[in-house]
Amino acid sequence: MLGATALALLASAGMHARHEATAPTRGVGAGGGGGAGAGAEDRPVDFAREVLPILASNCFRCHGGVREMAGLNLADHARVTTPLKSGRTAVVAGDSDASELLARIATDDANRRMPPEGTPLSPAEVRVIERWIQDGAAWGTHWSFLPRSEPAAPAVDRAAWIARPLDRFVLARLEAAGLAPAPEADRATLARRVALDLTGIPPDAALREAFLSDARPDAYERFVDALLASPAYGERFARVWMDLGRYADTQGYEKDNRRDIWAWRDWVIEALNADMPYDQFAVRMLAGDMIEGSTDADRLATAFHRNTLTNTEGGTDNEEFRMAAVFDRVSTTWQSFLGVTFQCVQCHGHPYDPFSHREYFSFLAYLNQTEDADRDDDHPRLEVERAGVKTSAPILRELAAESRRKTHLLARGSLTSPQEEVSPAVPAALGAVRGDVQPADRLGMARWVAGADNPLFARVAANRAWELLFGRGIVETSEDFGVMGSGASDQALLDHLAGVLVARGFSTKALLREIVLSATYRQSSVASAEALARDPDNRLWSRAPRVRLEAEQIRDTALAVSGLLSRKMGGPPVMPPQPDGVWQVVYSGDAWKTSEGEDRYRRAIYTFLRRSSPYPSFIAFDATSRETCTVRRVRTNTPLAALVMLNDPVYLEAAQALAVSVRMHSDDAVAVRAMLERALGRAAHDGDVARLVTMVASERARYAGRDDVARTLAGRAAEGSTDLARDAALVAAANVILNLDEFLTKS
Amino acid sequence: MQPIDPTHSLSAQTRRTFLGSLAGGAAAFSLGGIALSDLLAREARAADGGVDAANPLAPRAPHFAARAKSVIYIHLAGSPSQLELLDYKPALAKFNGTPCPDEYLKGEKFAFIKGHPTLLAPQHAFSRAGKAGLWTSELLPHFRTIEDEVCVINTMTTDQFNHAPAQLLLHTGESRFGAASFGSWVGYGLGSETRDLPAFVVLVSGDKTPDAGKSVWGSGFLPSVYQGVQCRASGDPVLYVKDPDGMLRETRRATIDAIADLGRAGFARHGDRETESRIAQYELAYRMQMAVPEAMDLARESKATLEEYGAQAGTPSLANSCLLARRLVERGVRFVQLYDWGWDGHGTGPNDDLLTQLPRKCREMDQPVAALIRDLRRRGLLDETLVIWGGEFGRTPVAEFRDGNKNFLGRDHHPHAFTMWMAGGGVKAGTVYGETDELGYRIARDPVRVKDFQATVLHLLGLDHLRLGYMHAGLNHRLTGVQGDAKIVRGLLA
Repeated sequence: MLGATALALLASAGMHARHEATAPTRGVGAGGGGGAGAGAEDRPVDFAREVLPILASNCFRCHGGVREMAGLNLADHARVTTPLKSGRTAVVAGDSDASELLARIATDDANRRMPPEGTPLSPAEVRVIERWIQDGAAWGTHWSFLPRSEPAAPAVDRAAWIARPLDRFVLARLEAAGLAPAPEADRATLARRVALDLTGIPPDAALREAFLSDARPDAYERFVDALLASPAYGERFARVWMDLGRYADTQGYEKDNRRDIWAWRDWVIEALNADMPYDQFAVRMLAGDMIEGSTDADRLATAFHRNTLTNTEGGTDNEEFRMAAVFDRVSTTWQSFLGVTFQCVQCHGHPYDPFSHREYFSFLAYLNQTEDADRDDDHPRLEVERAGVKTSAPILRELAAESRRKTHLLARGSLTSPQEEVSPAVPAALGAVRGDVQPADRLGMARWVAGADNPLFARVAANRAWELLFGRGIVETSEDFGVMGSGASDQALLDHLAGVLVARGFSTKALLREIVLSATYRQSSVASAEALARDPDNRLWSRAPRVRLEAEQIRDTALAVSGLLSRKMGGPPVMPPQPDGVWQVVYSGDAWKTSEGEDRYRRAIYTFLRRSSPYPSFIAFDATSRETCTVRRVRTNTPLAALVMLNDPVYLEAAQALAVSVRMHSDDAVAVRAMLERALGRAAHDGDVARLVTMVASERARYAGRDDVARTLAGRAAEGSTDLARDAALVAAANVILNLDEFLTKS
Repeated sequence: MQPIDPTHSLSAQTRRTFLGSLAGGAAAFSLGGIALSDLLAREARAADGGVDAANPLAPRAPHFAARAKSVIYIHLAGSPSQLELLDYKPALAKFNGTPCPDEYLKGEKFAFIKGHPTLLAPQHAFSRAGKAGLWTSELLPHFRTIEDEVCVINTMTTDQFNHAPAQLLLHTGESRFGAASFGSWVGYGLGSETRDLPAFVVLVSGDKTPDAGKSVWGSGFLPSVYQGVQCRASGDPVLYVKDPDGMLRETRRATIDAIADLGRAGFARHGDRETESRIAQYELAYRMQMAVPEAMDLARESKATLEEYGAQAGTPSLANSCLLARRLVERGVRFVQLYDWGWDGHGTGPNDDLLTQLPRKCREMDQPVAALIRDLRRRGLLDETLVIWGGEFGRTPVAEFRDGNKNFLGRDHHPHAFTMWMAGGGVKAGTVYGETDELGYRIARDPVRVKDFQATVLHLLGLDHLRLGYMHAGLNHRLTGVQGDAKIVRGLLA
């Protein structure tokens, strides 16, 4: 147990909302900094930038959309200025003396003071509230719910550094902090980084060599364009949509029976490779069945929302689980396209964002008219052929006019408490709908979600692109662009990128290209002492990030550098080796049947995912079981992940193959150097080579005269071996290399 | 204060959000291990929110004095019949075969029963046991000997009547997927007392994993460092813990050293402290390779102990799990979750009925569970170890007779009332809490909702269930739910 320091911290940490809600990075708008004391008194208080963060982190827990204690919901403008049950009014515009809110936060009387627990508001915070009320208590909207505008390009000193327009935004903040950008990364590092980012695997040898020896000024652009044109691009970014769309090869719940829906996965890969404009990509997934002249491919796209769980357990109420699926579709739609946490509005008003309980059900009404009804056979389905295999996938299909459902508001989200009927409508907080006419149906809703007027749609997509390339979004909480999210570390940069996406006709490839060609992206990841001191967490992008690879990238990269990776695309999911006994299926004889031939070595995205028992080595690297929409994987670093890399037969096999590829070099140094260079994609450091040569020598001696053990470890490297002990030692060295921090990291 | 290795680490990129998400305020930080000059200052900053992101499993002080340090939770997946084990209802014998009174069935929904069901007598005899004279089934001869250590709760109640949602509710606080499990919450709140073993270990017996799958020990929205680690009786005790065939132990040591040396050389070039953390993870993995097999090796127990539990090394069994649970708790594991599958009892055949299957499962369970309590008591561990026993719901006082089949006797799922018991770690021993009605259908007094039970267990561990929260998807999630209306059941506390 810890000593006095920790106990003191415990005591002082308090338990009030300010501690649970205040992310240390809270920055609202380009200026960052949540307001208090931030500005001079001569300009009016900005509600959204200065007041809202104070209310959000101190008050909403009790006086938000969930608890509304004393009848007060400070997230709801109307309720703030009307008299409360007590007869008092929280805010009387222009009259701070008559405003109960100010009285309660400013009082010295601990019995009356708000918040009742934890630290009182600082005098500066109280002053912000007072000035705001005095100025007329103008309400404002949280930045991300307001329309985008093209941000003005800031002035910078070091304009020569700028490669793309986005660099100007980054550079302005670096210069304001007195920092210079890091130098450009060397070509080999850049080649590995950008290939992993755009295709999920290191570059093919030929492409890499061509780039490294290309003296033309646009060599890097050509390299990037080749990567974007590679089919591996779609396989890499489809991973993201598999998480967002909670794709799995089983139905979930207790029986978790198999479900054929892989054709949708292949549709996503194809659409991404064809660079289908992102707005159309979204509309097709939400309502491809309803667009005029829709094709089978458009209908297949709607399987996105058929990845919801199906409960086939006896005695279950199909309507209950049909509704559970619809709730999930509402939540997933908002999470994945709009970056808003909507799930909580199912039961009550949003705790802090301006969405009402009623608006939730009005939105749900759009998704409540499809034929599917939690049936074991996942009806309705569409017959399609993908990768030369005939299959059928569950899809969305709108009910016929005569059998349409009525949607009721459900008190506390409970099926047993239906209230008044609601008609379909989108929430008001994201701005007026065009022509004041609510979208009529699911297709109209989809077009509203993906419309250029929607303040969130392009921002969320641009942020996701940044997050995938830099390891952290400009809005770090990419799942929450609302009041309680982390805010944007640089709103101007985000809006600029969102503007690029829209201006390029929602071409995702164009946006990615813009970013990876930037000087910001091309920086070295080596942190200068100055950068470490002034930007320790790389909030200013003063260098390229070092980010651990995703679960899928780790598998694919190990197989690629060892020459084992199959590039076969699409088709039914495969079952690469996993330990015996991981699948213990309760109700059926279904079993993990290890795939044969090249299907053992397919890219990770094709691995069978059973929700109740996902592939264990992926879980160790933070993949999820895909029961619900995953916007952001939290990276962890655990001994279990180390055990996977050290001992999983897949990685041992990769080590054996890597050893085979170099053992013809009789000089250990040459062999080790070759393995390092293949695995890391850069020239090996002499010190690293020397250290591994020492290890090869010591382990070779250890295995000398123990041919049986050596043969076992060497595996395929034992075939035709003339020196089993050396081959075993080389496999051990390859095992080391595949476990290096640098191998597991993008830098 | 022992220096603590930086054993588990969130990457720096997620640190802010992670800290920002912390609700409650269990705060601690560790300074051991890492030799970076700027680390001290940065760790001090990290500590202002709570969990140290570089070492999220560092032991943390509870909110208040704890009664229990660790938990052994024995879950009987499928749910045994409380009416044949510990909730004695002679009225059922009296009215055996008569139609269930209408007032019970109004609005009632069964998982399988169709039509108007009839009451079913207890199928096994009861008699009193222990100093307090608790009514106990003849199926539990060993349990009778430890009854003075136990607090029986006959008035557990849930709102889920299918296995998977009911298991999820009990173990994650939500009937749907995606929430964090009990052991994950406890690891998040208290950290780990062991450096060589996982903080949250799961042992599965009965041939199958629980109906809700591995989600019942998942970390849900909590960082995955808090998920349960399944230790297995056959194959590797922890997945991938065993070196590949042909890898000599000395060679494994040599590889770990080389990984560390090359990692440090890289660190000298780029200065990314995540590298240091990763080196520490490999060192811990190496220690786990020794510690896990040692902890899981029942051959190290005496013959007498093995016999007392009825344990036999090599095959998964509840007896083995019970003995392993004691070994793990002894070694500082915080939360040991046992799942034993096979307790469903619909009466559709000899594998799920009250006359063959239930006695068979009781024979497998009764002796080792009693042995566990005695063993913990002997070793002085019972006072600081909370032992929990029960299924995910109860069984109906009416017979099922699925599809008219009357060859076997069984009961359907019953959410309204069921039995659990607790022992050790601060619970009131030798008592029965609560009372069901004459037929055992509904609760007559002192209901214990699932969230009340969870709040009470957290309380015994020194954790305030309202303060143990985590911001996710716009809500301050708690094991006991976002509404915050769970009650600590004082009547269960010593």
